[in-house]
Amino acid sequence: MVLKDTQELEAEVTLLESQLQDARAQLAASEYPSPPSSWAVKEQYKTNNNKLTTSTRTSLHALLLLSDSALPLGSFAYSSGLESYLAHNKPSRTAPITSFHRFLKLSIASIASTSLPYVLAGHRDPSTLDTLDNDLDASTPCIVAQRASIAQGRALIGVWERAFRVSFAGPENPALGQTAAAVAAIDDLSDALKSCLEEDEDLGPKGHFAPLWGVVCRAMGLDLQQTAYVFVMNHAKAVLSAAVRAGVMGPYQAQNVLASQALQDTMMKRIAREWNTPVEQAGQVVPALDLWVGRHELLYSRIFNS
Amino acid sequence: MRQPAIPIPSPFESSIAKPGQGKVVLSLLPPNNPTLTTLTYKYPLKLVPRTGGFVPSPDSSALSDTRPSNPVHLYLLTYGGGLLPGDHIEVSITLEPKTRMVVTTPQGSTKIFKTTPNNAGTAPNVIKGHRDQMPANDHLSDMSQQTLDVNIGRQAALCYLPDPSVPFQHSRYAQVQTFTVDATAKGTERSSVCVLDWVTQGRTSRGEDWNFQFWRGRNEVWAEDDKGKRRLLLRDSVILDDESGDLEDTSISDEIEIENENTTYNTTHTGLENPVDMPPQAPAGLTPLNIIAERTRPHGVVGTLILSGPVFEALGSFMLNQFQSQPRIGSRNWSDHAPSSVPEPSGDVTWTAARVRAGFVLVKFGAKDFETAKHWLGGLIREEGSVIREFGEEALCCL
Repeated sequence: MVLKDTQELEAEVTLLESQLQDARAQLAASEYPSPPSSWAVKEQYKTNNNKLTTSTRTSLHALLLLSDSALPLGSFAYSSGLESYLAHNKPSRTAPITSFHRFLKLSIASIASTSLPYVLAGHRDPSTLDTLDNDLDASTPCIVAQRASIAQGRALIGVWERAFRVSFAGPENPALGQTAAAVAAIDDLSDALKSCLEEDEDLGPKGHFAPLWGVVCRAMGLDLQQTAYVFVMNHAKAVLSAAVRAGVMGPYQAQNVLASQALQDTMMKRIAREWNTPVEQAGQVVPALDLWVGRHELLYSRIFNS
Repeated sequence: MRQPAIPIPSPFESSIAKPGQGKVVLSLLPPNNPTLTTLTYKYPLKLVPRTGGFVPSPDSSALSDTRPSNPVHLYLLTYGGGLLPGDHIEVSITLEPKTRMVVTTPQGSTKIFKTTPNNAGTAPNVIKGHRDQMPANDHLSDMSQQTLDVNIGRQAALCYLPDPSVPFQHSRYAQVQTFTVDATAKGTERSSVCVLDWVTQGRTSRGEDWNFQFWRGRNEVWAEDDKGKRRLLLRDSVILDDESGDLEDTSISDEIEIENENTTYNTTHTGLENPVDMPPQAPAGLTPLNIIAERTRPHGVVGTLILSGPVFEALGSFMLNQFQSQPRIGSRNWSDHAPSSVPEPSGDVTWTAARVRAGFVLVKFGAKDFETAKHWLGGLIREEGSVIREFGEEALCCL
């Protein structure tokens, strides 16, 4: 009798210990003190493959929602400077496809160095959203890029409020801890945007995309690495989609580039590089890109907004 | 035991302890007499003021009923015309209300000397032995750094049009320039700032083409209210990094990198930089471009001009007008026998101007080379004329 009890208790202790270990691993995975590597991703999925926990299921669901190209952010209206780049770099000497690959790499490096630190900061500390919004606005050198960022940021608030909020922070499953802070930060910014009249407050809240993306991902339960990866991936998708519509390549070729190991490596490398970059240190690594984006306004005919 | 007596401070000793530091305060003494109430600096930095050079005519200023105070010209110099590895220049300037200052660097260029694995032995011999020896291969200490912190009071104006920075091969440099304006001043009482920050590909005569290791230029404008609360108005940050530091802890040593620079690209940037299934970036037959050249191509110089405040309002509007009146790119000339598209008017200069926020006008440019950029920018500023009217021709001595 006593012996059986002891055995049961021992089994329970082992079970609890393994649960604790799992929880710690998950916590470590969500906080990521060090830059991610493809190794870490694989490891994480390997351990999670055996049992699909509730938390991974919801985060997978949120991940798919946020990476969906049907997410109504209006990203299709922007080419992130590709259209202007093509106009400035006439493919006389090089094949257009070579020229495009150059642009894609520059564009990913640039979005990672200028915007990614704000995504990461928004996810790490949602309560700083208003400061991040102001600082990113101050750091965006041209109005073309600024318009694109604000339009997508406000669209993201719209999607969150009208569609996601009820499922991820509704009355049935109230948000806790940092998730609650993220939800509160979005609400505050949204209220500030509604109450601010554009004419009288040049320096008021803007609703820039990058920090909001970090905070919304936090509110929807994505971990930091997923947040960063989906952000850069969505950017790559938008540029490739623009390339298809600008006639640079066909849709199959675009998917081929999107699926390629080279693109994955480039993205992982850029994310790892900017992982610990404080927002004060964010900056443009591709000065030429600022010029192309800024000169989009000078194009005689345009199919994109940026 | 008796403590050793504290030595009597030398009356000639500067109040600034660290080498490379400098402090300037420009005050307006009554009735209308701009005076440098503080001017200290320490080797290798040198600050040379010049007052009374230019007197703006009473009717030159379109913006104030009272006569603007005479601008004080400050030359910002470093011994040897540049910065050695480990040099840390730290300049703090305060412009009290209604004062005006012109800051230039009359050296042709600010040279950024190279960082070598053992810089003590191979440093340029301009002035040997005077500067602190820094441990080699320590990234922070072997980097040349320059900090400029300017406080611009109500109705005061700063015109800072320096020479470009010319980073030599293998050099590392970081510069942070912070400008603080009075947040409580409104309308024509606001502080005015004109700042140019530009960087070239290096010494083209020696075949340098963006071969340095690291260059960072960060310009920030902050507004501070009377309670000391600060808010970022504008941040312009450019990072040119050859990313060789990313792979430092691999087996590739610095020596190999320097001795054999043609293979450097191939050894340090295989894989990710030149993915196997992506087409190569450089046309066949040419040497592959380094990563900074790739990101600045086709320019040999890139730069930013920041304009704000009532004194530079006219120049800002002029730049915007010039930008917007450029011919549309890709528009067709339908007349017979004409070339298929309208050629770029400015040809070798690609630029953009935008009114961002808080009234700031930001001009970004890329040009074929230093002379082209200098000629283009100097030409525009002279054509508009307000900088010369307010600050005199010497404000443009670097252009």
